[in-house]
Amino acid sequence: MSEDGGFISYELKEFKLFEPLFRWARKKSLWIVAFCTGCGGIEIPPLATARYDYERFGILPNPSPRMGDLFLITGYVTPKTLKRIIITYEMMQDPKYVLAHGSCPINGGVYWDSYNVVKQLDRYIPIDVAIAGCMPRPEAVMDGIMEIMRKIENGEADGWKRYRENYEWYKKNQDQLFGEGWREKEARRWLAWI
Amino acid sequence: MINANWKIIIETIGMLIYATFMGFIFMGIERKVMARIQRRIGPPIYQPIIDTLKLLGKKESVSHGFIYDFGPVFALGASITALLFIPIANFQLFSSNADLIVVAYLLEVPMLGIMLGAMSSGNPFSALGVQRGLLTMVAMQLPYGLAIIALVQHWGTFKLSEIVALQQVHGWSITVPALILALIVFDIVFQAMLGLEPFDIVTAPAEISMGPMVEYGGKHAALLFTQHAVQLFAETTFFTVLFLGGASNLLELLIKQIAVLFIAIFVASIYPRFTVDQAAKFFWKWPTIIGIIAVLLTM
Amino acid sequence: MNMMIPLILFTPLIAGVLTWVLNFRGVRELIGTLGALTPLVLLAKIYPTLMSDGPITYTITVSGFAITFRLGTLNWYFATIASLVGVAMAFGMISTSRNGYDWLFALMSYTGVLGVFLSWDFISFFLLWELMTFASFMMVLKRSRHESLKYFVLSVIGAYSMLLAISILYAKTGALDFTTIGRYLYANVMLGSMGRGEIILVFVLFLTAFGVKAGAFPLHVWAPGAYSENDQSYTAFFSGALSKAGVYGFLLLYPLMGTELYYALGTFHNHLTFAYIISWIGAVTVVVASFLAVLQEDMRKLFAYSSVGQVGYILLAFGLGTSLGLAGGLFHVLSHAIFKGLFWLVTAAIILQTGKTRFEDLGGLAEKMPITFAMALIAVLSLAGIPPMAGFASKWLIYEAAISAHMPLVAGAIFLGSGLAFAYVVRFLYAVWFGQRPSDLENVKEAPLPLIIGMAILAILNVVFGIAPGLVTKYINVLLGNPVIAGNYYKLVTPTGTYNALSVTLILIVGLAIAGLIYLYGANARRIPVTDTYQSGNPVTDEFNLSMRRNFYRPLAEALGFWLRYSFDRFYERLASIGEDFGDWLRKGFYNGNVQAYAWYLTIVLIILALWGVL
Repeated sequence: MSEDGGFISYELKEFKLFEPLFRWARKKSLWIVAFCTGCGGIEIPPLATARYDYERFGILPNPSPRMGDLFLITGYVTPKTLKRIIITYEMMQDPKYVLAHGSCPINGGVYWDSYNVVKQLDRYIPIDVAIAGCMPRPEAVMDGIMEIMRKIENGEADGWKRYRENYEWYKKNQDQLFGEGWREKEARRWLAWI
Repeated sequence: MINANWKIIIETIGMLIYATFMGFIFMGIERKVMARIQRRIGPPIYQPIIDTLKLLGKKESVSHGFIYDFGPVFALGASITALLFIPIANFQLFSSNADLIVVAYLLEVPMLGIMLGAMSSGNPFSALGVQRGLLTMVAMQLPYGLAIIALVQHWGTFKLSEIVALQQVHGWSITVPALILALIVFDIVFQAMLGLEPFDIVTAPAEISMGPMVEYGGKHAALLFTQHAVQLFAETTFFTVLFLGGASNLLELLIKQIAVLFIAIFVASIYPRFTVDQAAKFFWKWPTIIGIIAVLLTM
Repeated sequence: MNMMIPLILFTPLIAGVLTWVLNFRGVRELIGTLGALTPLVLLAKIYPTLMSDGPITYTITVSGFAITFRLGTLNWYFATIASLVGVAMAFGMISTSRNGYDWLFALMSYTGVLGVFLSWDFISFFLLWELMTFASFMMVLKRSRHESLKYFVLSVIGAYSMLLAISILYAKTGALDFTTIGRYLYANVMLGSMGRGEIILVFVLFLTAFGVKAGAFPLHVWAPGAYSENDQSYTAFFSGALSKAGVYGFLLLYPLMGTELYYALGTFHNHLTFAYIISWIGAVTVVVASFLAVLQEDMRKLFAYSSVGQVGYILLAFGLGTSLGLAGGLFHVLSHAIFKGLFWLVTAAIILQTGKTRFEDLGGLAEKMPITFAMALIAVLSLAGIPPMAGFASKWLIYEAAISAHMPLVAGAIFLGSGLAFAYVVRFLYAVWFGQRPSDLENVKEAPLPLIIGMAILAILNVVFGIAPGLVTKYINVLLGNPVIAGNYYKLVTPTGTYNALSVTLILIVGLAIAGLIYLYGANARRIPVTDTYQSGNPVTDEFNLSMRRNFYRPLAEALGFWLRYSFDRFYERLASIGEDFGDWLRKGFYNGNVQAYAWYLTIVLIILALWGVL
């Protein structure tokens, strides 16, 4: 089984006739993959409750990555979490968007001198919109969501295109951090009888 | 053989488009009403249509084999078939060719299609979803059967169009005391058929990651959403035809369907989720006893 | 006299003996298959004469007793169903049997079953019944002693009950053939020459005898063991045709003793009491057997309990007392034989190719055995009662009959049984065909050709009788004498409902086409391996266990915890062990190896003889 599961050589489908309609639909119904990364995970429930209700924009949390399009990286990312993020990100179906939440994915944030935190997330996963703050207030997150909806409408949200085109560069960075063949090694660590 | 009548073909196509559209609106009403009960604003009513369009517009799709692809297609086909055999308002469609038992079975066939697809995706969460879905179905079959039997024994016929006609003459089913018990039982079973709390054990979003649908994305998920919409419309129409006297035009049918849906949503917004063995024990205690009383009263 | 009937009856037996004698590889398969095909061909040839001229009889007289065989509409129906399953069995056994022993006893039981269906007096009925039981017992004996002993004891209990009942009838009516007995009992109903107690005794004895064979509720305990420990191609015949012999016996009660029983037992809330009892036995069998089937871990035991449950459906239908019920039951005889035969042949294919029977060892075979998988899917659709398959048509008729006959609780039991059938059949599909494949099943190949031919015969019949159920109901109308089910070849019309199989099929195809169009509009799907699956983001390799194969329905076992503590199987086993202990105690008591005790026995016997005056 090849490392990428064959998704790089897969030819994407282009909808010629209805592309504006689909772009509008993608904007108005972003589904978040229910993956709460770091300490920022606590800032997402206020968005869902009655005060800042994001469901009126059509945003829903969805536990399955195959059905999700927006990935929220909320907070710091360690290599252990980054492996799972990469696996889940590759399970999502194009087009997909990543929203980096907080200062840690941008430059390390509070953990700028830690040995265990990934400082520049953009080298491993393409990011579409970044929201600064530690933690950003819900109004700031709503602003970020508006920004990503605007980018989708204009066709500028192309993180997934960047990932496909520059896959070797991303893969080189990932392998440099984790070591070659990191998926099999990580899987075998969790088999209790080996 | 079916007479290839132009009128029937146009009626069928029109009814399919109407049913799909209204099914999506019902799903949207579900989300909107839940949001309003929780004092939020909620999505617009036509949100499920946007969701389905987005899912269909995914540029990539994965598959785990032939049965994985065939499962949602089969489920949607079976839902459409079930829909076309129910008399909807004053359109008879094909309801003279199949009666109550056939429609009741056809409404359960889509679950087989989804289960087939879920099983072939090879995910443990899907297997758990399949187990829970089947056990919920097993649990609800006994009260479901008893409610339908009470109804059929009272009206003396299996044909749905005749049941509607008899109700127009003698008054709705719920005006008969024995059938009120059947209505209570059928309403409890209806929650399980729609997949709403307290019986949304199949999907159980936070427990088992969407259950059978965990590996479905893109166009397969779009097919499953459309199937849910058509199934919702078919099931609410089935309820209306059996207990609320059918309808003489589409607007009256819509009002009755929304009434049925509202009762289901109100119950769903209060209750948490049952586990499967609790659901089985619940269904085999009080709904079964009420069903047996109803059936003995109409014998 | 017309030699057709003896030819039909005894060809399989002669073929069986020949295969045992000429035990060479190609020869015995050829003779066996020819022997199995002959009855089917002859029955097909005789159908036009049967329709135009009426029943054919054949009598032999042996030392004053006239043994009669008759080929009327009822006999032809059951005999053809048995030969259809027999032909499929023969094709299956070409691949799975390795010696002449199996062929001999399989064909011997084939003759036995045909004889039970074609005989028209009690002597031949009993003789051929015993032949059938003996042959199937020998098939089980080769593989497991304990199960064969259970089967043997229960069958013997049934056979002796039947013998007692036949003797009582002979003593009262002085005749042994069905026509005379039926006529005599009908004419003497008012004279009351048979007391009420005697009729009830005869009824209970016949219930025991036929109930053992059919697998009715308290007497079903032999079925799981006997069906499992057997050549699975033969089990297709065993559960498809032999259990129908018991059901045929229940059906015979109507023309033979129906009026007597009516006068003896009366009616209960507008239902014939004796039929009501049969119906409730059937309903309890359906519920109990289906629940037990859901909780099984072994593929063969699951299908065995499922067979017991489906025969309960037939008993239920026969017990409704209306002609619609009889029609539904007769149709279910046909559809159960063909879909259960297909299931057992699929099981034979799986066991032949993989050698494993428990669900925890199997998995992911759909890619390796695609044709067998397609056949299994057809059988699954038929058993679960999905329109448009043969299983649904017969189930629909039974539902209609049960609710129209005002037996609602029994109909509720059928609903529950259908739901459970759905559940265990999906368990079979998941555990065997889908999911992750264990590493030792990587080299499994498709089933051999003769087995596929056998499966294809039954699968095509399933589909044909599903889309055109009118073919069968037209014949059943002729059998019952009045048009119970109206309609044409595709449509079944009863007084209270309709079912048009062709329109359901066509609309299903239209629905699939619409869904397919939406599917084709989206992006092309690319194939990914089974390890590319969402496990909360954890990486997964083939060494992980990704399928749930054991205790799949554990929540149901928890919900039923109270009822599962009681089991008739354990009850019988405990009775048997008490009997064994008693026998042991007697043996140790009397044959204790003590010479003085033996001397005492000798003395006592001599004294008795002396007092009697013999010595």
